[in-house]
Amino acid sequence: MTAPATPTARSAGLIACTRCGRVFGPDTELCSRCGAPLASRDPRALQRVWAWWLAGLVVYIPANIYPMLITRTLTYSGEGTILGGVIELFGHGDFFVALVVFTASILIPVGKFMAIAFLALSIRDHRFMDEHAQHRLHAVVEFIGRWSMIDVFVVAILASLVRFDAVATINPGIAAVSFALSVAFTMLSAQSFDPRQIWDE
Amino acid sequence: MQIRPARQRWWHPLSPVWLVPLVALVAALGVAWQSYAGRGELITISFQNASGIEAGQTPLKFRDVTIGVVEQVNFGAGLSEVLVNVRVSKDVAPYIDAGAEFWVVRPEVSVRGVTGLDTVLSGAFIAGRWDSDSSGARSRFTGLEMPPMLGGPDQTGMVVALKLRDGNQISAGAPILYRGIEVGAVGAPRLDEDGESVLIDAFIEAPYTERLTSASRFWDASGFDVSIGASGVELDVKSLASLIEGGISFDTVVSGGNPVNPGDSFEVYPDEQAARDSVFTRSSDAILPVSVVFDGSVSGLTVGAEVRFRGLRVGQVTDLGAYVEGEGADRRVRLRANLELQIGKLGLGDDAGPEEAMDLLGTFVQTNGLRARLTTASILTGGLLVDLVELPDAAPATILMDAEPYPELPTAEAALSDFSATSQGVFERINALPVEELMQAAIDALDSFRAIAADPATRRVPEAAVSLLDDTRALVTSDDVAAIPAEVRAIAASAREILDKIEEGQAVENLIAAIGRADRALTSFETASTDFPAITAEVRSIAEKVDGLAMEELLASADRLLNSADALIGTEEARELPASFNAALEEVTVFLAQVRAGGAIERANSAISAAEAAANSINEAAQSLPDLSERMSGLVVNADGVIAGYGERSRFNTELMSVLRDIQAAADAVTALARTIERNPNSLILGR
Repeated sequence: MTAPATPTARSAGLIACTRCGRVFGPDTELCSRCGAPLASRDPRALQRVWAWWLAGLVVYIPANIYPMLITRTLTYSGEGTILGGVIELFGHGDFFVALVVFTASILIPVGKFMAIAFLALSIRDHRFMDEHAQHRLHAVVEFIGRWSMIDVFVVAILASLVRFDAVATINPGIAAVSFALSVAFTMLSAQSFDPRQIWDE
Repeated sequence: MQIRPARQRWWHPLSPVWLVPLVALVAALGVAWQSYAGRGELITISFQNASGIEAGQTPLKFRDVTIGVVEQVNFGAGLSEVLVNVRVSKDVAPYIDAGAEFWVVRPEVSVRGVTGLDTVLSGAFIAGRWDSDSSGARSRFTGLEMPPMLGGPDQTGMVVALKLRDGNQISAGAPILYRGIEVGAVGAPRLDEDGESVLIDAFIEAPYTERLTSASRFWDASGFDVSIGASGVELDVKSLASLIEGGISFDTVVSGGNPVNPGDSFEVYPDEQAARDSVFTRSSDAILPVSVVFDGSVSGLTVGAEVRFRGLRVGQVTDLGAYVEGEGADRRVRLRANLELQIGKLGLGDDAGPEEAMDLLGTFVQTNGLRARLTTASILTGGLLVDLVELPDAAPATILMDAEPYPELPTAEAALSDFSATSQGVFERINALPVEELMQAAIDALDSFRAIAADPATRRVPEAAVSLLDDTRALVTSDDVAAIPAEVRAIAASAREILDKIEEGQAVENLIAAIGRADRALTSFETASTDFPAITAEVRSIAEKVDGLAMEELLASADRLLNSADALIGTEEARELPASFNAALEEVTVFLAQVRAGGAIERANSAISAAEAAANSINEAAQSLPDLSERMSGLVVNADGVIAGYGERSRFNTELMSVLRDIQAAADAVTALARTIERNPNSLILGR
């Protein structure tokens, strides 16, 4: 709604490189500065968003069902799922850690799915959110997505550090791989999103 | 030139990124399907106590391999049992059929050791056992509360039932030993229906079941036995393992047993000796309680002391006590011992009860004189035992059936063989010797001697002896006596021949045969001796007849004979007899003087010594040949007859002088013979 008369590259018949920001003529296909392919609007960008989003969602299901950590000690052999781990931590009184894990492993990925879906659905509809807010949301999603990987990092570090054969062993479960894939897919999904389309009339 | 734009494919508007979710979806679905399809069968096991079982955690193991995990633990209807749902892998599930057994393995620390140590760290697990046949898989099972100690379907062997008196020395899992080798184990002890004995299932592994027959005996091999009994101290220490673990041993003590079927029942004896003894008695240990009342001290008799019958242990003393009997001045303390006799050892049949045993004892007491008697069991310890002896001479007695608390057996005087009793017995025997009677008999004998010596007839004996000497002398000087050495020589020669013949003719073998016949004769005589009572009766009748004879008349006639002899002595002729004796003596004296002058005596002496040497040689020969002595005896009899004939000769006295000369010649010949023998002693034997 704000300043619809603001001239854009598209309205000026130009193509801007999304990587380095240089503006080219309408028929240029490759950025002569950074070599990135140039397209005024990618008609299949939204498809890619949805495709990655769906792939991320598919692998996110086993990431929550299957065990994240397989812990074996002398007296205990256990498999912990993400949510089970959070509940366990919460039960032990480790609220902060529980909150961090919950935020990183559940809140952020789920919020990301919702945010990307929202953005993709309401790219031409600004009833719920104006262009600026949508743009900001996209920036946040892109930024915060990588932090979801801390869960995977924790598992990777634990699995490589805690390896005292008989006494205690921690192995990553299927969920760790699934979760990492899910995070990667949603990041790709968010990256596939062309924020310029938010502003298209 | 018309440029045809590239043909738009129908998928052209689609991004290739769509492949990613597609692949992810397919992969996820594939994984889901795989895990669903391969998740195995769900079985439900009910336990009374699910301690240590955690859902999702506790594994189910078969032969120590995990084949499933507990999925869910919940309660059955009415909260009466715990239902454990176990997800079992698909390839094993078909084998879990009706014969399957499940139990929870928990760490267990007992005197027999630590079991399930791995479960201390890993937590309890459910162990299962089933055979390798799949006959109708089931999904609902009842778990065992105790781990089964005995072999299951996958172990070959045999389960037999053992019967003990008490089970406090044996616990589940204790080993079954055969000659010290562990061949099986026992299950948990349990009471039998009537609560009188303890039953244990014993599992014996396969190759050793052949050692088990109906003649096998089991005994308790737990720990060690120290028994301080009448026969001293006995210490029996088994291996350290069985000392700690307890155990039951068995052995086949006699051959010829029948094969055993699974489930057969065996008695467990308290020790090996009892087990081996039991072969000859029946296994039942029915007890016949009796009591015995002793008059004297029972010092040394203890509870548990043996009761023996003909040397066999038939029971033991269970109780000792004193009680007062009688009233007023007759009150006295008597000692009572209660005995328990094992009916099985009395030799009665298998189904004999206390009534039969009591009947038997009653019969023995009345007919055989069965008595209870205290006997020394060991001189060292001074311990006593109760001996059931048969004294046929004992005063009649019966069992007091109405005695309290048990029927009372009659007793006999104790047969104590300790030192004091023995020496006392010796003194008693010395005391019982008839010394007084002996002295009196000696005095009587001396009186009789004196009477004989004082008798005038005795005084006349020397004179008669002198006349006898005269006769003898006359005999010695006869020709025939002089010829004796030659005859002896001939006899020796013939003896030698006999000896040779004996050597040739296997007389010894004949003798042995004769001894054999004599032996058989003796045997038949022995068998014939059963007729002795009849013979004795006949002898007795003969004796009675003899007794009935007119001994009085005989004595009277003897008396009359004596009187007439007395009258004869009193006649004049008799009185003059000494005078004629005197004259004869004077003549003898003259003769002796002549003899002395003639040197006849010296020659006779040398002849006698030579004859003595010859006699010695003959004696040697005679010792080796009783037959010869018999012939000699016959010869002596003949010689006796000859001598008798010579004694009657009337011209004996008148030819005295010529006889003397003959004696001289004979003496010369004897002297020559004697010298020959002296020079060559074996000539007598050899005949040269």
